[in-house]
Amino acid sequence: MNSSTSAIGKLKAHFANWRRWELNPIVVKELRQAVRSWSVTGMLLLFLAVLFCTALIVLVTQTLEFSTNTRLGAEIFQIFSGILTGASLIFIPLYVGIRLAAERQDSNLDLLYITTLTPARIIRGKFLCGAYMTVLFFSACMPFMAFTNLLRGVDLPTVAFILIYLFSVICVVNQVAIFIACLPISKWFKILLGLAGLVTAFPITSGLIFSFYSLMQSGVGSMMAGTMFWSVFFTVSGIVLAVVVLLYFLSVALISPPSANRGLPVKTYLTVIWVIGAIISLAWMVKTHETAPAVVWCVITMILMCGSLIVVVSNQDQLSLRVRRSIPANAVGRLLAFLFYNGAAGGLVWVTFISFATYFLTMLAVKWIPSVLPAYKSIPNRTEFQWMMCGTILYAMAYALTALFIHRKFLSRRPPKLAGIFTILLPALWALIPNIVLFFGNRLSFRSLEATQLGNVFNLYMTKTPEQQIAHIACASLWLVVVVVLNFSWFIRQLREFRPLGSAGPTVRVEPSVPPRIPAEPTVS
Amino acid sequence: MKVQVKNLRKEFGKTVAVDNISFAFDSGHIFGFVGPNGAGKTTTMRIISTIEEPTDGDVLLNGISVREQPELARKAVGYVPDSLPAHADITVHEYLDFYARAYGLKGRQRTQAVEAIEEFTNVAGIRQKHLKALSKGMKQRVSLGRALVYDPDVLVLDEPAAGLDPRARVELRELLGLLAERKKAILISSHILTELTEICTGVVIIERGKLLETGTIEEVLKKSAARRTVAVRLLNREQTPSLLKELLQTPLVDKPREVGTEVHFELGGEDDAACEILGLLIGKGFKVLEFRQTKADLEDIFMNVTKGGVQ
Repeated sequence: MNSSTSAIGKLKAHFANWRRWELNPIVVKELRQAVRSWSVTGMLLLFLAVLFCTALIVLVTQTLEFSTNTRLGAEIFQIFSGILTGASLIFIPLYVGIRLAAERQDSNLDLLYITTLTPARIIRGKFLCGAYMTVLFFSACMPFMAFTNLLRGVDLPTVAFILIYLFSVICVVNQVAIFIACLPISKWFKILLGLAGLVTAFPITSGLIFSFYSLMQSGVGSMMAGTMFWSVFFTVSGIVLAVVVLLYFLSVALISPPSANRGLPVKTYLTVIWVIGAIISLAWMVKTHETAPAVVWCVITMILMCGSLIVVVSNQDQLSLRVRRSIPANAVGRLLAFLFYNGAAGGLVWVTFISFATYFLTMLAVKWIPSVLPAYKSIPNRTEFQWMMCGTILYAMAYALTALFIHRKFLSRRPPKLAGIFTILLPALWALIPNIVLFFGNRLSFRSLEATQLGNVFNLYMTKTPEQQIAHIACASLWLVVVVVLNFSWFIRQLREFRPLGSAGPTVRVEPSVPPRIPAEPTVS
Repeated sequence: MKVQVKNLRKEFGKTVAVDNISFAFDSGHIFGFVGPNGAGKTTTMRIISTIEEPTDGDVLLNGISVREQPELARKAVGYVPDSLPAHADITVHEYLDFYARAYGLKGRQRTQAVEAIEEFTNVAGIRQKHLKALSKGMKQRVSLGRALVYDPDVLVLDEPAAGLDPRARVELRELLGLLAERKKAILISSHILTELTEICTGVVIIERGKLLETGTIEEVLKKSAARRTVAVRLLNREQTPSLLKELLQTPLVDKPREVGTEVHFELGGEDDAACEILGLLIGKGFKVLEFRQTKADLEDIFMNVTKGGVQ
């Protein structure tokens, strides 16, 4: 109660002092640097030159009879929007990502990270800088686009919708670039990811240009009257927003100090969007009388949980003093904190809960609702989907717990992120090695890929018969039981040690016990 | 402001960069941080400045742990790295203004703080210059200004004098003196030990990540003064063999040897012992023309306590 009152009080004081509000320092710095940067000014000049030349070429090659082309405005607008998409979708995320990645390199320490700016403000600043730069590119293009409105074939709602749509996509890509730049990987890996992103940007650009063309052909204004348009619009916008915010939370967690409670905001956010996702998919089920939205929700959740599993097993067993200080004393609060705070054990329970809850809710929607309400259509291959999801969860948990056991038992002095790496390597090697052996034995074929390869999660998606899938489920279950038994004592120990600082019971050693050689009191006074 | 480094340890894989070191210093004092290359000075300084996380141990800045509350600790510490990060497209004023904003200074308060720091570090004349166009000395001033713009109580300077010309060094020394007068606790690393002796009130010597010596300059010199070198020059050089023979039989005297026209020997004990030896030699009929004791400076102490190895 007190904390919520003080938070409201702070918020009130914040808004009362609106005259003293200042821009995020990162935005100020980044924009000052951007306007002086040769890459930005050069790109803008090139962009303007290309727009000008294009407009000139298109207009010069037209006939003087104005009435002959009633869609000239639309044609030029499409070209301009293509140029704008290419320039802003590739250049801006690249600029934002490279700058942040360079600042994050240890060899080129940017002192930004030793200021009192919070990690959240740094990431917000970087994101806003990207958004401002996008606005800069859009405003440079605006006179040319306004000119197309003087010609025929362009309606303002479509233009506004396309520009908002493009702006949103660039913001998403900017956030992806920020996330990649924050990843704790080497410079070369980041360059590799950047190149992969660059390659991906070309099909995205083509797809966007094609969608603009479709929108220009159909016209957005006419579609706005229907509820379907707005339903799709809000759902897609919601998903895009959810992805951007997720990447934002992940980026903040990545640049936060290791002693911070990095897990809490990310897990809380994932749980919230999981619940909202369930509500949205339920709404779509009611609207369409189909159970497919539940399947989409289930698949997206499973992908997120597989990613989360890799991250949670990479957590350190020992919690920092800072995290331990914030563990609630009451049992319910402690249990919730165990699930949502840093730590591999709690993280595993959280992933298990979300995964199995998703699985059972989806099965309820896919199997039970169509049987009770015949108006609702179920999905084709329902049983296959059921086994695949179940097998995927069991295998994922088994891989993660095996990786955790290997790290704890044999490489406990090495960083815990090795457990996460093993969680990726185990399924990858399990899938590759048998097929490499088959390849060198000249026995690799589609039939061999479809044969049962127990332990290989990817084989689950290649199998043809229910017997094969049941064999996989049995194998994954057995494996999971074995690794659960192997990790059981560790889990209980983690649970016991998860208690507030100062309370009785086994404690985690954080302070060194060896007395200092030199007196800790100041030698000079 | 008390700075307490407690059992600090930092490992990079299998390499132990800092191995259980502890020392402390207080505001108004400049502590020299000395050690061969690769001794772990920069790592320790980065940990104090909250850039690196220790593997074990902690640093307390007035009781605030850099390990547990790095965000809070950052408000108390200003870090000056050995080189300024390369920002090609920002001016000196904008750079300082950005850091003032980053530390939460607003409006007029920020303008005044930036202007005051520009004056103090003598960069007001180059405030519109781009960082990349600055000389090493000027960059170091800007870096110091950046660390001071929010008035931290602790300053950590990693080899600030490296690459500076003599004038810039003198000016830096004066600046540090002024900062110590303003009750800042300063930790400075440098390889120029004679300079450190002049400006530091205390010293920390480390090698291979281990602490070898720490304390005030006087304390450390006093410890090493227990074995000072004494030089004796005789009027009559023919007395040299008998002097060497005599010294060999004298208590507290060690390693008597002939060095040019002089006889040198190591002497234990306090200043009284030197007086007694002088009296003894005169009493035994030696015609002493010159008798002087060479007190060890920081350089001698450093050479004595370190082995010269790097990790």
